Amino acid sequence: MKITAKQFALSLYEAVTGKPAAQVKSVIKKFVELLAEKNMLSLADKIVAQFVKIWNEKRGIVETEVVSANNLNKETIKLLKNYIIKLSGVKEVVVDVKANKGLLSGVIIRYGDRVLDGSLKTRLEELKSELIK
Amino acid sequence: MSTKDFIIEQLKEQIADFKVKAKQETVGRVIEVGDGIARIEGVSDVMMSEMLEFKTSKGSVYGVALNLEEDRVGAIILGDYLGIKQGDEVKCLKRILEAPVGESLVGRVVNPLGEPLDGKGEIAAVKHYPVEKIAPGVITRESVKQPVQTGIKVIDAIIPIGRGQRELIIGDRQIGKSAIAIDTIINQKGQKMKCVYVAIGQKESKVAGLVAKLEQCGAMEYTIVVLAGASDPASLLYIAPYAGCAMAEYFLDKGEDVLIVYDDLSKHAVSYREISLLLRRPPGREAYPGDIFYLHSRLLERACKLNKDFGGGSITALPIIETQAGDMSAYIPTNVISITDGQIYLMPELFYQGSRPAVDAGLSVSRVGSSAQIKAMKKVAGKMKLEAAQFRELAAFVQFGSDLDKDTKAKLERGKRLSEIFKQGQYSPVPAANQVLIFYALINGLADDVPVEKISDFETGLFKYAAVSGAKILKEISEKQDLNDELEKKMKELINDYKDSEIWLRQET
Repeated sequence: MKITAKQFALSLYEAVTGKPAAQVKSVIKKFVELLAEKNMLSLADKIVAQFVKIWNEKRGIVETEVVSANNLNKETIKLLKNYIIKLSGVKEVVVDVKANKGLLSGVIIRYGDRVLDGSLKTRLEELKSELIK
Repeated sequence: MSTKDFIIEQLKEQIADFKVKAKQETVGRVIEVGDGIARIEGVSDVMMSEMLEFKTSKGSVYGVALNLEEDRVGAIILGDYLGIKQGDEVKCLKRILEAPVGESLVGRVVNPLGEPLDGKGEIAAVKHYPVEKIAPGVITRESVKQPVQTGIKVIDAIIPIGRGQRELIIGDRQIGKSAIAIDTIINQKGQKMKCVYVAIGQKESKVAGLVAKLEQCGAMEYTIVVLAGASDPASLLYIAPYAGCAMAEYFLDKGEDVLIVYDDLSKHAVSYREISLLLRRPPGREAYPGDIFYLHSRLLERACKLNKDFGGGSITALPIIETQAGDMSAYIPTNVISITDGQIYLMPELFYQGSRPAVDAGLSVSRVGSSAQIKAMKKVAGKMKLEAAQFRELAAFVQFGSDLDKDTKAKLERGKRLSEIFKQGQYSPVPAANQVLIFYALINGLADDVPVEKISDFETGLFKYAAVSGAKILKEISEKQDLNDELEKKMKELINDYKDSEIWLRQET
């Protein structure tokens, strides 16, 4: 049976957890050798993507994208981080901040497959559709 | 000035009341799209058959989640899927697929999503009903006992349909299946019935003609037409009968009687097969998926007769199945035959011989039987099915040509007249009282002296005569719905009087 990228990534995660850095290196070397042997090196990109996903999931880390109209200062980002931790119940949050003037004001928070839209643009659009009704 | 102020005041008020909260929403991304099917990543808490909103550059398109897999969701797209691209955002709408229902739909032609197709303006629907609904249970039901008057003599006499029954209409293409359903709808005028006609994969030209006919007969006043045409995507064809049933259930819940026609379920099965194969569900016999039986059984199970405690309404279903070259033992026909409470089988031979509607008396059955007939009809039509079936057998036998005894000859003569009476033009339903009258004439030998080729003249003449001279008798039959000796005597007199009044009848007898 064909082994999927997800299965590779999962076994790699299991092989490296709880091992010191020196050992990890040799595990990875062996892993790459295995891939080469199975002619699966082309899957490497997918395995990396899956590995990040699994790593984050197991460690309770969540990658978040915050889009805001203006650049945010550190304090606001920290507040947002705490808010997201409270909301999603994870241990750690990695925030990627982007600026988009089109939002006018407010922020949009994306984590996992959730979206929290607090931008003025969306509110104005909602108001528009409400008034048309 | 005051108007301007008023508007501004109103606007201020509205805006003050308007509050939006940042809502948490679940979204996903399209990873694959094509043939009316989309595969979506994310949307982790999506429900089965939940509505999804695809945000495209051209606006929103809606879809329904059908396959919930480990790391992806398979969805059908309702409407134009060409605008959806890979990577587009998909939003969960947190509600199961619904159809608008209500009185305002009556007299309209709508698509399965309840959007108008007849150009008569927007429909203000009060309520939305889920498209998929569990059928009423045992405790809420009661046995079928009221008739649906189809106005088609052969059906009302030998294969009666009751309110709450599911009667399959089956036959080859171009043989009058839809005609039976349409005649039945036309005849529901004044019978306190709402009708829903669901056209699945039909030519839109055919449906347009049909709607025009219904309008002309005044039947659109109590009819909803749900149209998923031949050019609509399979997803719309698939939900059409369920949406139509939801519209019917609105009236059921109000305690009304509804007649729903599914025209036709073989095309529905084909569209579901298309969806299933595209969603990579394993194919089974004739490439239909494993749950094709459940597809139809859960739909037809929603036809019911509720008891008094639950409103006493009913949904009568008339599904239509098209066979290929009379093959009743194909997969879908056998399935639907086993689900329904009987079938009306239309036979090509009869159709080409000119006896239309081409109902085969031997193969057609109604499992509800005579409990769905008015008593008067029961009395005159009791033995007719047997006689019709025996006649077919005898007629085949007699072709060898031999001397016949008197009994057989009489049976043959009677049979010939019977099948002559069963002939009926399209769009000309016959009221129940008139049916009782003509059948009474036949079984009591009052038509035996009328030559076979004159039977139809005899019938039309008799109805005309009865409308003038026997109006009281007809009224009594339709009011009492029963016959007594006195009434029978009156009917006999009426028929004899009519026979005396017709010159051609007197001359030839």
